[in-house]
Amino acid sequence: MTSHFRQAAVIARRDFIATVATPAFLMFLLAPLFMLMFALVGGTGARMIADSGDDAQRLVILADADYAARIEAADARIRPTFPLGIAPPALERRSPVHDVSGAGTEAEARALFSDSGVDVAAVLYGSPDAPRLLIGSGSDRYADYLALLAETAARDVRSGVPPGDAVTEITREPFERTSATIGGQQSLGFTALFLLFLLTLLLAGQTVSVLAEEKGNKVIEILAAAVPLEAVFLGKLIGLFGVALLFIAFWGGIAMIGLAAVPDSRATMVAFDPAIGFGPFLALGVLYFAMGYLLLGAVFLAVGGQANSMREIQMLSLPITFFQMGMFGLASAAAASPGSGLALFAELFPFSSPFAMVAKGASDPALWPHLAAIAWQLLWVSITIALGARWFRKGVLKSGPSVFRRLGQALRGKAA
Amino acid sequence: MASGFALTADHLIKDFGAKRAVDGVDIAVPEGSIYGILGPNGAGKTTTLRMLLGIIDPDSGTRELLGTTRPRSVSDRVGYLPEERGLYPGMKSRDAIAFMGALRGLPWAEGRARADDMLADAGLGHAAGDKIKKLSKGMAQFVQLLGSIVHRPELIVLDEPFSGLDPVNQERLEALILAERDRGATILFSTHIMGHAERLCDRLAIIAGGKLRYEGSVAEARATMPIQAHYTPREDSPALAKLLPPEAARDNGGYVFDVPDSGMEALLATLLECGHGVAGLSLERPSLHDVFVKLVGEETVEKMEAEAEAEAKMEAGA
Repeated sequence: MTSHFRQAAVIARRDFIATVATPAFLMFLLAPLFMLMFALVGGTGARMIADSGDDAQRLVILADADYAARIEAADARIRPTFPLGIAPPALERRSPVHDVSGAGTEAEARALFSDSGVDVAAVLYGSPDAPRLLIGSGSDRYADYLALLAETAARDVRSGVPPGDAVTEITREPFERTSATIGGQQSLGFTALFLLFLLTLLLAGQTVSVLAEEKGNKVIEILAAAVPLEAVFLGKLIGLFGVALLFIAFWGGIAMIGLAAVPDSRATMVAFDPAIGFGPFLALGVLYFAMGYLLLGAVFLAVGGQANSMREIQMLSLPITFFQMGMFGLASAAAASPGSGLALFAELFPFSSPFAMVAKGASDPALWPHLAAIAWQLLWVSITIALGARWFRKGVLKSGPSVFRRLGQALRGKAA
Repeated sequence: MASGFALTADHLIKDFGAKRAVDGVDIAVPEGSIYGILGPNGAGKTTTLRMLLGIIDPDSGTRELLGTTRPRSVSDRVGYLPEERGLYPGMKSRDAIAFMGALRGLPWAEGRARADDMLADAGLGHAAGDKIKKLSKGMAQFVQLLGSIVHRPELIVLDEPFSGLDPVNQERLEALILAERDRGATILFSTHIMGHAERLCDRLAIIAGGKLRYEGSVAEARATMPIQAHYTPREDSPALAKLLPPEAARDNGGYVFDVPDSGMEALLATLLECGHGVAGLSLERPSLHDVFVKLVGEETVEKMEAEAEAEAKMEAGA
C-alpha cells in the first residue's frame, strides 16, 4: 500500500509540475481576473445603457410654488433611503399656466406626456388638499412614490410645519453588532455553497480530459506496466487536486488581503458570522471542497478514461456539467429549507453532501454532523476511487472502440 | 531464484472475444540469459509479454516472475519497454528517464544523475536537457529504453525494441543489451527480425498463430534441420542424379541436398569413382531463417519480410 502511495505521488508530482510550469497555467490562474474584467466592462456598458434610459424619465409636479416646495422637501428626505440604482426618477417642477384647481391644469398635465424632451412617468398636480396623479403606463410604482410625497406634504401643511423642517428631533446612536443575523448566516451559507459548486465545476471538471494526454502519447502502457492503475488513477487525481488548491490559495489569499484592506470590515462581517465560527467554517470549506473535488473528480476521471478522443471527451462534458448543476440545485434547495427531509437527503447523498454541509455550517452550530459527514464522504471517496480505478483499468488498455462507441454500435444494431 | 529461471510460463492461454490470441505457450527464461520471442506480427508476442508482466491476466496457465506468481509485486525489479512507444513530449530527456525510474522506486536525484551518465554512454549526452518533442524518433526511443533500465532491473523485457530504429541505433541497442546481460540482468525481447535474435539470443521461442512452435537455443534450433551440401560436379550427366539423395535439387549449375545421416564420405567416394569429380563443395548449417520457414511456413515469412522492408523504408523516409 505504501508503494502504491509512493507511485501515486510520483505521478501526482509529474502532473502537477507539467500543469503548473507552463504559460497556459498563468492564463488559467488569471482566468477569474479576465472574467471580472469582462463583467466590469459588460456591467458598465449595461449600466450606461440603463442609466441613459433612466435619466430621461421624470416625475413631474405641476403645482404652485409653495406646494411644489413642500413636495421637493419631502423628496429630499425620502429619496436617500432608496438603495443605489433603484431610486425613482428625478423630480421636476413645472409651473402651471392655468389655475391649479381648474380643468386647464389637467389638460396641461396630459400634454406633458407628449413632451419629446423627457419621458414623463407620472404627474402630480392639484393642491395639498386635493392632489391628483396622472400615471403613465407601467409607472404605478413611481406613482406610489409621488403619492407618498403628496401625503407627506399634506401632513406638513396640516401640522403647520415649514417645508423641510422636521416635526421632531431624532437622536441617532450607532450600535456595533456583536452577533450574527439569521439572514446573514443564510447568505453566507448560500455564498459558500455557490463558491464550492463553482470551484468544483471549474476545477474537478478538468479531470475528465486528463487521461487524453497519456492515451494520446501512449504513455499509459508504461505507467500500467510500472505501477498499478489504481496508483495512476490516484496520482492523476491528487496532481490535479494540487493544482486546484494552488488556484484557491492564490485567489483566497488575494480575497483575504482585499478584505483586510477594507475599513471596518470586521464590524460589517459580524452579521455573517457562521454559527461554528469563521476559522472552523473556513477549514470545513476546504475539507468539503477536497471531498467534493475527489468525489466528482474520480467519477470524471473514470468516465474520461473510457473516451478515446477529444471529441468524445467534449461530448461527455455536457452530461457531467448537468450532473454537477443537479447537485447544486439539490444542495441549494436543502439550504433554503434546513431540517427538511430534502435537506437530509442532500446532506446524505454523497455527491451533494459537501455542498449541502458547507451551507449547514453557516447556520448550525453543531460540529459533530460535520465530522460524521466528512467520515461518510471519505468513505465514498474511497469507494468511488476504487470503483473508478477498476473501470478505468478495464477500459484503458483495451484497444478498439471505446465503451461509448461500442454502446452506440450496439444501439444502432438493435435499431436495425 | 532457486529454479535458476528469471521467468517461467506454463501453458498460458488468452482469448480476446472469440479469438484465441495465445494458445498454450510455455517459456522458461534462464537467469542472466538473453531470450528472444520470435514471431510474425499478430503472433501473440505482445500479449504473451503483457501476461508475463501481469499487465493483463491469462485466462488459464501459470507464470512465475523473479520467484513470485504475482508479477505486479516485483515490478520495481523489472524494466519494460512496450511496443507502443510513449513519452511526455514536454519532458526533458533527463527528467523522462528519472521519471520512469521514480515510478520503480528510484529517487529523482539519483535517477537524474544516472540519466546523465547513461545518455553520455550512449552518445546522447548532448540531448540530456532537450525536450522529448525536440528529439528524433530514434533518439526518443532510445531515451525510453534508458528509462526502462535506469533503475537497474534484474529482468528487462523489451517488446520489439529494434522496430523503428535506424541501423546506427540498432547497433547501439545491441551493444546495450549485451552490456546489460554482462551486468547480470536477464533480457527477454520480442522481435520479428531474425538477425537480431540470431546474433543476441542464448535461447528463443518461436510463436506463430498464438502457439509455441519452438523453444530452445539458437544452435539447437538450427540443429533441428540437417546440414545442407552444395555440390558442383566437374562432369555432369543424367546418371549423376541417381547417385545423389532423392531430394537433391538443381542449384546454380550444381545440386543442393541434405547431408545424409551416414555422412558425406561414402557419397563423395562414389561420385569420384564414377568420374563426376568435385568442382565445388560446401556444407552449410541451416540458418535461423531456414528453421523459421520450416516452422511457420514460407508464406508467413514472406509476409514478415515484406512488413520489415516496408518498416525500413518508412524509417528511411522519416
